[in-house]
Amino acid sequence: MQKLERLLNLTAVLLHSGRPMSASELRERVPGYPDSDVAFHRAFERDKDDLREMGVPLELEEIPGADPPLDGYRIPRARYYLPDPGLEPEELAALQLAASAVQLDGVEGVEALWKLGGSASDPAAATIPTVAAIPTDPNLSPLFEAVSRRAIARFAYRDEERTVHPYRIGFQRGHWYMRGFDLGRDAVRLYRIDRIDGTVEVGSPNAFEVSDDDDADPNLVSEGWQLGVEPPVRCVLRVDASHVPAAMGHLDEGAVIETLPDGSMLVELVVTNRYAFRGLVLTYLDHAEIIEPQELRDELVEWLRQVPGVSS
Amino acid sequence: MAAPGAGGVIVSRVPAGDRVRRLLALIPWVTANSPVAVDDVCRRFGISRSALLADLEVLPFVGVPPYTPDTMIDVDIDDDVIEMRLAAPFDRPLRLTAPQALALIAAGHSIRAVPGADPGDPLQRALAKVAAAMGVDPDRVHVDLGDVERSTLDALSTAASDRRSVEIGYFTYGRDEHSQRVVDPLRLYADRGNWYLAGWCHRSTDVRVFRLDRIDSVRMLDQTFEPRPDASTLAVFRPSDTDPRVTLDLDASARWVIEQYPCESVDELADGAVRVRMAITARPWLERLLVRLGPAASVVDADTDLATAGVDAARRILAVYGVPGSSEPAK
Repeated sequence: MQKLERLLNLTAVLLHSGRPMSASELRERVPGYPDSDVAFHRAFERDKDDLREMGVPLELEEIPGADPPLDGYRIPRARYYLPDPGLEPEELAALQLAASAVQLDGVEGVEALWKLGGSASDPAAATIPTVAAIPTDPNLSPLFEAVSRRAIARFAYRDEERTVHPYRIGFQRGHWYMRGFDLGRDAVRLYRIDRIDGTVEVGSPNAFEVSDDDDADPNLVSEGWQLGVEPPVRCVLRVDASHVPAAMGHLDEGAVIETLPDGSMLVELVVTNRYAFRGLVLTYLDHAEIIEPQELRDELVEWLRQVPGVSS
Repeated sequence: MAAPGAGGVIVSRVPAGDRVRRLLALIPWVTANSPVAVDDVCRRFGISRSALLADLEVLPFVGVPPYTPDTMIDVDIDDDVIEMRLAAPFDRPLRLTAPQALALIAAGHSIRAVPGADPGDPLQRALAKVAAAMGVDPDRVHVDLGDVERSTLDALSTAASDRRSVEIGYFTYGRDEHSQRVVDPLRLYADRGNWYLAGWCHRSTDVRVFRLDRIDSVRMLDQTFEPRPDASTLAVFRPSDTDPRVTLDLDASARWVIEQYPCESVDELADGAVRVRMAITARPWLERLLVRLGPAASVVDADTDLATAGVDAARRILAVYGVPGSSEPAK
């Protein structure tokens, strides 16, 4: 019980004073700390960790006028207080419903709702079973902060250090992606967040403007064979009748050239990534055939001859 | 005020940190809305009556120096009504953390795809308000739970809630075949970028999981079904001990396989290559993997007839392209 009281008082004292306070000053002002120096420091360290873990902005800064120089702790009110979003009861209920149906793994959504005023209605009436869980990644939150505060993100990706103006993040096809302007490459790039090595470092806010290069299309990821940078090649693919339903999951209706008498279908694709295109075609095993161009037919045949055992 | 834990109030076993989280949100709300009924606070903040009363007992000891009565939180509980004053340092809740804000925005963005759960305009307004309070542009986050035909999702959702059996056209990717099945739809859910239906399959006489983007038709049947035991714990991929296993050597260029598919063991070899062991529930799945990997994968060891899966598939495909002799069996 003592700890609950102490954490609340520590927060109250720091919020109230608004100025940096030293550890010894806090020990004096906040009731409930143990008497011995060792035990105090241990308890104080734990309290700081607890507050930071809750998201309390506990900052370390030099105490003005202290001689010799001394660091103190401060909770800036502007960073602590949630501005009142002014939610109407029906808006809070809608948020509650959304948060119960779709959850981000490892995030206490319910605490976010408490901060916004708790459950607006009878929980039993307003909850539906969780129907979707979205995976998370340790770098997701720093990147979200970087996107929302327009801060530069630095990280290692494919064995290279990247410095990026992050424009947006998105979850598609089971993965989180970030799109941003890569300063080293002088171009907009797409990154799969779970392939970032180590930790993303986030710089100071308002460091860039989102450039006009960033189109409004919220879909970050196109189909694989459209993702490359190779010169576009027009291809015609024949898909067996049995596999047409599966293929249409990847294709626009507009891709269909014609349906043949046996029910198989000719479709047209514009390929800018031959590697991804080969992966797509081989997904259908012997139920699909590249009709043209001849060059891609030859490449596929050559590839299959390299499957261990085929040419032996 | 009684000593902590006295007066018949059960001392909560919830860690202090968790109780602080709740109190930092609860104090501002109760102060702003005083007087409020105890029951209302319990419902709003998902807390039991005894836990709430235990937490409120602490508040008269919370305040700022010099800790005189006029600087301490003033709480009165009378006739099941709470009145709270003088909570000045806590007159607004703590900001949402970045993950919390992201979770709300992600949930709000994806909810439109969830059948029967689209609260429409109030949600849009709520998201805009929360994002503005957080200084965030909600349009910079996009969430797509998976490609799915809205009509398929709606039809199956209706069937599940009405307990009506359906006949679906389904493409079994693993076995590479298309079939019609009668299914009692039990549960619809999205996981890692795909939508799934868990249902009782009449053909298999067992619970099966179907990927919605491989369902190409749904026909509502007249027959109804009784609810079955919860299907929520179903895993999407459940290899059994009796499924055959293969061991593959993968070049460094094929390491993505480890990230993409469940491997039972992964051993590092020289030059970034790895040796992996996987359970194979259907041969065409392995065929596909091996022809896609081409020279980057070789079979080290395989149960049943799986050792020739890659060669067999490559020869069948080569035959489609009219490559002579390619359909002949090995050696």
